[in-house]
Amino acid sequence: MDGPIPVTGPGQFYMLRTPTRWPVLLPRPFSLYDRAPDGSWGSFLLKGVGPGTNALLDVDVGEDVLVTGPLGRTFPADIEDPVCVAGGVGLAPFLLLARAAKANDRPVRLLFGGRDRAALAGLEDFEPIARVATSTDDGSHGHHGLVTELLERMIERGEVRAGETVFCCGPDPMMHAVAKLCERRGLRCFLSLETYMACGYGVCNGCTVEVDGERFRGWPYSKTCLEGPVYEACELVELRS
Amino acid sequence: MLATRLGTLQLTNPVLSASGTFGSGWEGREFSDLSRVGGLVSKTVTVKPRPGNPPPRILETPAGMLNSIGLENKGADYFIPESLPKMKQLVGEHGRVIVNIGGESIDEFVELAERFTAAGVDALEVNLSCPNVQEGRLLFSTSPQMCERAVAAVKAVTDVPVFAKLSPNVTDVVEIARAAAAGGADGLTAINTLIGMAIDWRRQRPVLGRGIGGLSGPAIRPVAVRMVYEITRAVDVPVIGVGGIQSASDVLEFLCAGAAAVQVGTAQFADPALMVRLVEDLERELAGLGRSVGELIGSAHPEAGPATPGQPAAAGASAQERR
Ligand SMILES: Cc1cc2nc3c(=O)[nH]c(=O)nc-3n(C[C@H](O)[C@H](O)[C@H](O)COP(=O)(O)OP(=O)(O)OC[C@H]3O[C@@H](n4cnc5c(N)ncnc54)[C@H](O)[C@@H]3O)c2cc1C
Ligand SMILES: Cc1cc2nc3c(=O)[nH]c(=O)nc-3n(C[C@H](O)[C@H](O)[C@H](O)COP(=O)(O)O)c2cc1C
Ligand code: FES
Repeated sequence: MDGPIPVTGPGQFYMLRTPTRWPVLLPRPFSLYDRAPDGSWGSFLLKGVGPGTNALLDVDVGEDVLVTGPLGRTFPADIEDPVCVAGGVGLAPFLLLARAAKANDRPVRLLFGGRDRAALAGLEDFEPIARVATSTDDGSHGHHGLVTELLERMIERGEVRAGETVFCCGPDPMMHAVAKLCERRGLRCFLSLETYMACGYGVCNGCTVEVDGERFRGWPYSKTCLEGPVYEACELVELRS
Repeated sequence: MLATRLGTLQLTNPVLSASGTFGSGWEGREFSDLSRVGGLVSKTVTVKPRPGNPPPRILETPAGMLNSIGLENKGADYFIPESLPKMKQLVGEHGRVIVNIGGESIDEFVELAERFTAAGVDALEVNLSCPNVQEGRLLFSTSPQMCERAVAAVKAVTDVPVFAKLSPNVTDVVEIARAAAAGGADGLTAINTLIGMAIDWRRQRPVLGRGIGGLSGPAIRPVAVRMVYEITRAVDVPVIGVGGIQSASDVLEFLCAGAAAVQVGTAQFADPALMVRLVEDLERELAGLGRSVGELIGSAHPEAGPATPGQPAAAGASAQERR
């Protein structure tokens, strides 16, 4: 995508839509994957799962795409040396973070899991700039098993200690498992949710999740597009049960 | 050329936001100059705060979407000091601020009308698609008697124009429109969403947390156009057309059907600057036609006379010629 692309924090997203590709009506949210330092171009990491993503993947070079953003909150910027845990296209929000960490000479730790090697799209962008470990369900790359097992192993070896922070993005079951593990082991955990959205800019009230925390001032629901998509795991009611 | 009128309420142009699809406008302020729209209609405000329905609340469907937001809002005590001043600031001197109110009883409608009249609004829109909790939970929008009483009760306590927002989920929308007019409505907003449902057969459960939801978007536009046409032929009260508007051509279709103004809802989710673009496009289209908004209102009705030859025909007008 040609620029100018505004400065975008890790976790922030854009709403994309192909105006001419009927019948997709609503835009879909996507994290910005990469961005030229001068903003002259940007890119997204897309996985086709339905009509919206497939229409976007069909777009030809030079075709118009409606883009709104950057939207939402970033992963907290004041955490030093977080452990990033990604599943599939949940990798997307971490490249900007990894680039910044590399520039500060503190390469980020990334645990990256997927169903198979093909689900690890983007891996080659991280290998030169981050400390990466992978896992696949079928054993075709890295650890044969779940990405949570990689995290557990790091904790066991003392490579990650209580009080440290995990940033996580991926399919819901994976994020649940990571959040639970962090809770048991005394790690802080921030999740970037992939909620179904209609507008992405706070007007439809369609993207809410149940929350509990001071910043929500007693209101039981939070709009993920405005107050998220990044939440600390302890704020999410769904993860309490 | 663009100016229009809803009873005594003058609008610089016919483009308004639809309730619940643009918040109070504040979140949309960065995307366009909202002082250029005809006005903003607030999300439904209720007396007490309402947390809304459990997620998931939205689903895209063919050419539309289902929503079951459940009127999530922080209540009048929050809205009046926090959101109303922002709406006024956004629309500036010429745009109108219309607050949509939702009551669970006649008393609540009256309380809201009194408070918003005192707080200063240009008009009130009465969301009739609310259950009358005091009297059998029937929706105000489905019973002519309750609809008339609610509108009359609001009219009795306010001096600003009152618009009644009608539901399409009735057998005869004209009957309800007549009742709202008898209650003294200065305008009718047509239509709210059509009740629908989607089921995830893999889980064998409805997709939406609440089960049912309201269908909106281009899928409902023909239903909305038909209802505006029927209402404006039968009732002598200005109508605000709403349902599936995406382009200036859609706005013109509603004007020809009889609407004196329009509201834009779902399509703004895809394009936050849509309303202002519609105003610009409409101006260009009308200049091309050499017609004003006022001249087109209801021009597809048979009693409006035959469409002038060579006039680019709106869908309704050409159908009329052929008949
Ligand atoms: C903040 C944010 C950032 C995202 N970033 C990326 C990204 O960088 N790359 C990327 O490929 N995707 C990303 N996504 C996910 C992407 O938006 C969805 O995959 C897309 O909206 C699906 O649209 P669709 O029309 O293709 O599929 P749909 O028809 O909408 O869905 C296809 C299937 O996926 C399920 N599904 C769709 N959306 C969700 C959801 N949000 N939660 C749970 N299930 C769902 C549906 O139930 C259905 O079974 C992100 C989502 C959010 C909220
Ligand atoms: C997400 C969403 C929320 C809505 N909330 C309200 C509401 O609070 N009050 C109301 O009167 N109508 C509400 N509506 C209905 C719209 O104002 C409008 O009548 C309807 O969506 C049809 O127009 P559209 O097809 O342009 O969206 C809502 C619609 C949507 C899609
Ligand atoms: S997606 Fe519309 S409010 Fe968040």
